[in-house]
Amino acid sequence: MVGEPDRQFSFRGRPRSARKGETLLSVLSRDRIPLLHRSIQYHRPQGPLCGIGHCTGCLVRVNGRPNVRACRYEPTSGDSVTTENAWPSPSWDLLGAIGLLMPGGVDSLHGLRRPAVATRLYQRLVRRLAGTGEPPTDAVSRALSAPAVERSPEVVVIGAGEAGRSVAAALAARGITPVVVERGLHPPTTDGAELLGATTAVFLPPPAETGERRFTLLAFREPAQGVRIDARSVVVATGGYDASLLFGGNDRPGVLTADAALALAAPSRPPPFHEAVVVGGGRRAAEVLSSCGDAVTAVVAPGEIRPEVVRAASDRGILLYPRSLLLRAGGRKHVRSVRLRARGGGSETTIACDAIVLAHRRVPHAQLFFQSGAAMEWRPGVGAYAPTVSANGATSVPGLFASGSVAGISPSEFAHHAETVADAVVRGVGPTGSAPSPTPDVAATELVGYYRELLRVPGHGRWVACPCVDVLVAEVERAVRSGYRGIEVVKRYTSLGSGICQGRYCLPDALLLLSILEDRPPAEVGYITQRPPVVPIPLAALASLPNPPALEVHP
Amino acid sequence: MTFARDSYRTVVVGAGIVGLFTAYHLARAGGGPILVVDRGFLSSGASGRNGGGVRQQWETRGTVRLARESVQAYRRFGLEFGFNIWFRQSGYLFLAENEGELARLRNVHALVASEGLPSKVLDGDGIAQLIEGIAPGAAVGGTYLESDRLLYPFPALWGVYEAVRSLGVEVALGVEAHGVEVRDGKVAGLLTSKGPVATSTVVNAAGGWSGDLSRRSGLEVPNVATRHEILATEALKPFLDPMVVRVSDGLYFSQSMRGEVIGGLTLPHRPGTSRGQGSSPAFLTTMARALVGLVPRLGSVGVLRAWSGFYDDTPDGFPVIGEDPRLPGFVHGNGFGGHGFMLAPATSRRIALAALGQPTDLDPAQFSPRRFLAPTPVATVERLQLG
Repeated sequence: MVGEPDRQFSFRGRPRSARKGETLLSVLSRDRIPLLHRSIQYHRPQGPLCGIGHCTGCLVRVNGRPNVRACRYEPTSGDSVTTENAWPSPSWDLLGAIGLLMPGGVDSLHGLRRPAVATRLYQRLVRRLAGTGEPPTDAVSRALSAPAVERSPEVVVIGAGEAGRSVAAALAARGITPVVVERGLHPPTTDGAELLGATTAVFLPPPAETGERRFTLLAFREPAQGVRIDARSVVVATGGYDASLLFGGNDRPGVLTADAALALAAPSRPPPFHEAVVVGGGRRAAEVLSSCGDAVTAVVAPGEIRPEVVRAASDRGILLYPRSLLLRAGGRKHVRSVRLRARGGGSETTIACDAIVLAHRRVPHAQLFFQSGAAMEWRPGVGAYAPTVSANGATSVPGLFASGSVAGISPSEFAHHAETVADAVVRGVGPTGSAPSPTPDVAATELVGYYRELLRVPGHGRWVACPCVDVLVAEVERAVRSGYRGIEVVKRYTSLGSGICQGRYCLPDALLLLSILEDRPPAEVGYITQRPPVVPIPLAALASLPNPPALEVHP
Repeated sequence: MTFARDSYRTVVVGAGIVGLFTAYHLARAGGGPILVVDRGFLSSGASGRNGGGVRQQWETRGTVRLARESVQAYRRFGLEFGFNIWFRQSGYLFLAENEGELARLRNVHALVASEGLPSKVLDGDGIAQLIEGIAPGAAVGGTYLESDRLLYPFPALWGVYEAVRSLGVEVALGVEAHGVEVRDGKVAGLLTSKGPVATSTVVNAAGGWSGDLSRRSGLEVPNVATRHEILATEALKPFLDPMVVRVSDGLYFSQSMRGEVIGGLTLPHRPGTSRGQGSSPAFLTTMARALVGLVPRLGSVGVLRAWSGFYDDTPDGFPVIGEDPRLPGFVHGNGFGGHGFMLAPATSRRIALAALGQPTDLDPAQFSPRRFLAPTPVATVERLQLG
């Protein structure tokens, strides 16, 4: 798939070349990833965090189109790639002075409210600073028009990972040809199924009063081709993703999730670092060590470190720091070190490093379940919400099933569970007995205890609680002190979770944070209504789609 | 005990902008003790779901005057309530696609100008100067009022919420009102999901749920809740100043302080509150076609989220303000048809006066609940219920 570098494009005016099948972020990470992006309000240097197309850290402008994710864009010859929202460039951005002048943060709720001439100028300035990119050009938008793709299979499977492929194969064995929708850029082929490379964005339940029982999914193929699928049953196997962590400088360039590190190091490429600190002591940390172990200097874990990680580390002479609090990343424009403290008020240590890889907590990718109206439950083991799933994969929405790790199934059980789900889909049965609880990687009480200690660290108020919108921890604390309670209200008060990742990376932390600040269990803090779409879908893609047959619009 | 007291002088149903502003004026007039109840969390209804427009272009003089008064009140908001609501002179641009629509807008212009507001009639070229990248020939003309505005709704809610609390008003969230208790033909209390509470005055400022509350209180009212959907895109650098409203399909959009394009359009949804405040694929595709058709350059911009809220519609397009003649103590402050936020400062003063049993300066033929009880329907209708 990956061939010789034959695609010539320009990055900020300089020639670059890419191989077929290589993302822009991969190309750029051959050397150390250059600074691509500044945060939206304070213009802090911000790096690619997630590597899977959700965070703000790798947004660039391609041929006049803003907000293109470098981690999901494969350059073609003649492309012109530029950076945005920094002046004169992300490396030397004079707008970064905003953050330096106002180290405690800009109080946009109470600041400058007098009606005066100055207000108008101030508003113009704030508007000018807002936004992640200039509007797209006419030409690039008009070039996007492509005929929509429509499918009406019996069953659609979302996710072509191991779990999704197992379900598709089990369905094929029962005489059903499902459509498998996969967001990854190069999904593996799936026997007995139609593979559709597309990102599912909108998945709403069929309107109850019409008696319509088919689901409608709106999706898109890069860059903006609309896809509409309607199906009798939907099996969601979207897996999980590596969560962020709260510490000073947690979105600085060089801080990566395990998803990003593994994506950039695959297939058989050197990772984008030489001496990384891996955070976490469980299964995911072990995966990072097995793939990038030679470029890792230390493993830091909020809790204990599992034997398999200890073994992998000792083979390579990697230092181990169990039961440690991650305080802050050193280095202004890129991670140069990490400061730790032993849990329970122990001594502090600084480790030199060029990356921090977050592999401490994997949370279910459950946004589609939220959107479809399925009953959700708090999973204390991972500290996140997941669909309520019965043993046969059925959710509370008739016809909607879950399989794989999003359903709490461990990888060794994927194949077996796929057979059970396929049987239930074929027979159209609903929920049976409850599913076994998944084994936690980090205990929830441990997470809450960890955050309780973090909130006692001096200066934590300046840490960033929501990197997409630049919301500081102090703003969340102020909201709770002023009497605003619950994630829904705190979100609206602070804007936390309203940015481009739609809360994927700030909410898992914010729920624990609020649980401590409001002094009630995380499950009572509530969750943010997951509004469609689950990922930004281009207007052109939506515009190309005919209205769904099941219009819930009154005739 | 759920509430701090057994009885209150006034209970306001609805902690949206209208209910909170009404409680504020009541408390300032010494009308306490006051309780405000709301079925959801703060900002969970239309006050936390609207597009933030405050316009003075209307088809009837009464509405123009209330809107103008509200603009003046919102200008003072920062100083009075301590919150920056980002009240911005963006202007409002109404688009006509044909001469018939333009003729209607010319009438709006004549009325608005006669009230001393600097309204302008624009041709296609004038419009193209205000909407960067508009499709050629998309509009034959329109009206533009530079002094119309946009605000950020949330801090306005926080500001009034904190102000009423500091005035001693009790705000109980997550409490549903089931209807009033009537004794001797008058309001004696309110029945809630947390038990009954005694009061002689109930203000129905429940927005989309106000028709339900009136009917559960034994009052037949014509209020209808209609769901309206809205979406927001990724944030872009500023390219659009005014709020744009198209007459033909109710398409409206503006660019927020944060840079998102926020807008919606009118779809004939099934009336009632039972379907909740979600979104539909039909809206997303219809809205995307309308927006990209008008401003093609937006095609590659991603939709970040979509949601909906309830308009509380009345047959003549005017809100309902005043005590219900059939039930002394039951005061209406509802029927805003999706424009409660923009009219709240001016109307809530009158709603508070009505709750205190005092006369208001509002034309009863347009605003009183009495108008729906008359044998012949009212003649004046406010039809510019767009955007």
